[in-house]
Amino acid sequence: MRLSPHRVFMKIIANNVTTAIEQVTAYDRDPAPYFFDQEVQKLLQILTRPIPEKVFRPRMNGVNITTPEYRFMTNEELEIARKESEIKMWDLLQIPPIVKIREEDIRILSKDPAIQGYTDAKHVFTDITFGVSNKYRLIVVREPNGILRTVTHTERDRLNQIYFPIPGREIEMPKMFEEEHLKLILDREDYEFILDRACVQFNPDNSEYHRVTQRTYDEVNKKQKYDKLRSTRHYGSMIFYLAWSKNLNNLLLENIETGKIEDGALAIKLYYILNVKQKENLKNNDVDIIEDFIKNETNMNSKLVKALENYKQISEAREKLQSNIEKIHQNAEINN
Amino acid sequence: MSICALRCYTPFIKPIQRLFLIENRILNKTNIQNIDIWKLQTSISVVRPVSVLAKYTGKDLWKSVLSVSNAGKNRGRGKGLKRRQKDLNKGQIIGIGKLNMVWPGLNAPVMQEVNIVKPHKVSTNLDRELQSTTSTDLLKRRSRKVHPLLRGWTSAKLGGKSIGPPESSNENSLNDFETKVIQHRVVSHMTGNLGRVRVHSIFAITGNQKGLCGFSLGKASEISTALRLAKNRAGLKLMLIPIYNNHTVYHDFFSQFGSTKLFVSKKYDGYGLVCHRAIKCACEVIGIKDIYVKVEGAINYQHIIKAFILGLLRQKTHQQLAEEKQLHLVEFRNENQMYPKVIATPATVRKPAEVSSMEILDFTQYVLGGKVVLKKKKYPPFYINYNSYKIKQRKMEYLRNQDQVRIEMYAKHGELKSFLTDKYPEAKPHLWKKNRTSENEEEN
Repeated sequence: MRLSPHRVFMKIIANNVTTAIEQVTAYDRDPAPYFFDQEVQKLLQILTRPIPEKVFRPRMNGVNITTPEYRFMTNEELEIARKESEIKMWDLLQIPPIVKIREEDIRILSKDPAIQGYTDAKHVFTDITFGVSNKYRLIVVREPNGILRTVTHTERDRLNQIYFPIPGREIEMPKMFEEEHLKLILDREDYEFILDRACVQFNPDNSEYHRVTQRTYDEVNKKQKYDKLRSTRHYGSMIFYLAWSKNLNNLLLENIETGKIEDGALAIKLYYILNVKQKENLKNNDVDIIEDFIKNETNMNSKLVKALENYKQISEAREKLQSNIEKIHQNAEINN
Repeated sequence: MSICALRCYTPFIKPIQRLFLIENRILNKTNIQNIDIWKLQTSISVVRPVSVLAKYTGKDLWKSVLSVSNAGKNRGRGKGLKRRQKDLNKGQIIGIGKLNMVWPGLNAPVMQEVNIVKPHKVSTNLDRELQSTTSTDLLKRRSRKVHPLLRGWTSAKLGGKSIGPPESSNENSLNDFETKVIQHRVVSHMTGNLGRVRVHSIFAITGNQKGLCGFSLGKASEISTALRLAKNRAGLKLMLIPIYNNHTVYHDFFSQFGSTKLFVSKKYDGYGLVCHRAIKCACEVIGIKDIYVKVEGAINYQHIIKAFILGLLRQKTHQQLAEEKQLHLVEFRNENQMYPKVIATPATVRKPAEVSSMEILDFTQYVLGGKVVLKKKKYPPFYINYNSYKIKQRKMEYLRNQDQVRIEMYAKHGELKSFLTDKYPEAKPHLWKKNRTSENEEEN
């Protein structure tokens, strides 16, 4: 069967798009409603465990170092300043959203074979009216073969960046996001740099954004370098991704080994929400929740079981020591 | 004739050798055994005139060139005398010379198997090289290389020069100290006997770059003595100066000594020492790395240093300031996005009602003792309204992003090349060159 030139063209575009998406973990469901859910957001924020000193640390972002400013303050003034800085901190810690990868939607607006061959270049028409959002801005392309169509996503990104540039974003993808260069940065464990720049360069529904971030999250998870992302805006996104892709074993192991039992339990709660597993009889005790999870969801992972046993023994010994100390103190008081 | 006296002077050795040769020949030819040698020698010595140089030893001659009698010295004679004795035989070794001769008995054996060796010339390159290196090496003067940063402010005077650590007699070694000369002057006073007596006055500051420092004045007729005096005395008068985070002062302050006034400003890490050169020397020695100081009033080097050290010693710690004010002292840094960091909290904090509206609450003004630094307005440069400047700006406008574009080209293609270069290779972008010839184009 002979395809019309217009159909051949559409097929080429469609093929290109699908190959790009196949590289990343495609979400079977749309993660956006889960991500923007109030309860999930709260869980992610708690799990970030922000330390103000780390959130407000000096960063290589072009801000000049200046002479510090000193102020004398009363308790009340200090309280106000602290509250203001807390609001600023949560602004800085806004978690980059995880949404479904965008799909191409190219519509043919008109076919005018009469003007085909007029030029050998594509003509792009952009509506640059003030106040129109980048996502819904009207941009159309007149092909040399006379077809007038809407733009692909890459074309839209490019034209938006030309007419309404976002500072820090480049028209073409920087080479650091290509696998060979990305690997070098991942090897030197500069995860925050990659994730920050990905946030600037890509829209969250871009397949490239998903590829780069997921590659980074996987690397962090593999090397258990969660501390590198704690107190940053990317920790929530990473936990969301790990819980969604049922890949919590390493995180749980790290949590148990470093005594962050509450964090482990919260991550498991998130896991149940994201994977739509209603747990009516979710236990109150954090250790019990983790034990239950290991039993049912991880098929009794030997490392996790061993780590939890260790934790239990240590906490028991600690409790015993504490009670003994208290007893001695009480005895001493009575004797006195 | 005394041969001993002549031995010292190499120019006379050769004629004497020749003399003896003649003597021997006479003796051999005539074959007369009983000639009185003493007579012969005396007869020869009478022939040669006696030089002045022969009368005195080398030591005496050198002394006459290099020194003046005490009486003459007091009258100011012999000021342009040479200071040091010169080694006239430097680089010369007996038996080795420019001609590269073999002298049997001197630098070679007399007998070779059965034959007697005669004096002869040898011309081997190796020998000549050896000879040249030995003599030139000895004659070469080695200049002492001092690091440019330790040479001082100017090449002419001692100010700013580094003179090493003070000597210490006790066990506490001051080897990690460094001393810098702040001022070197020649001062004089009058005495009844000697008239105007000139003395070198050295003002030096020493320190270990960790807060310990001392300064002192040393006076002596010799520069080296004055330097040593000042240095060692400074090492005996050490003070401990508090340094904030190992790089700057605790807070801005004002300090005055005589009519020399200093406004000292605390600065951020990496700012450097922007101040009078004497204060810069002091900071380098004390261990302060970032500071701005404005000197007002008299520029007296000793007063500047004294005012600076006094000000440093009068600094208050943050805790002291907070206790004085009975308020929290909070630090805001731009690089930390103005996150309030409490650096000192007093035992009791005052309520807002207790803070009077009249008291100074501005931190800088408070630590400056109520003074406000006059900051002059910066005016735009004079050429800003010139027509030529506007024309230049207009001409340069199209170049304004060229650097950035060039970097992007290198990042994308690895060379200076745009997306149009393949289509139009004749318009390939290139770096600007003053003499751009056709050859260069071909190379590119």
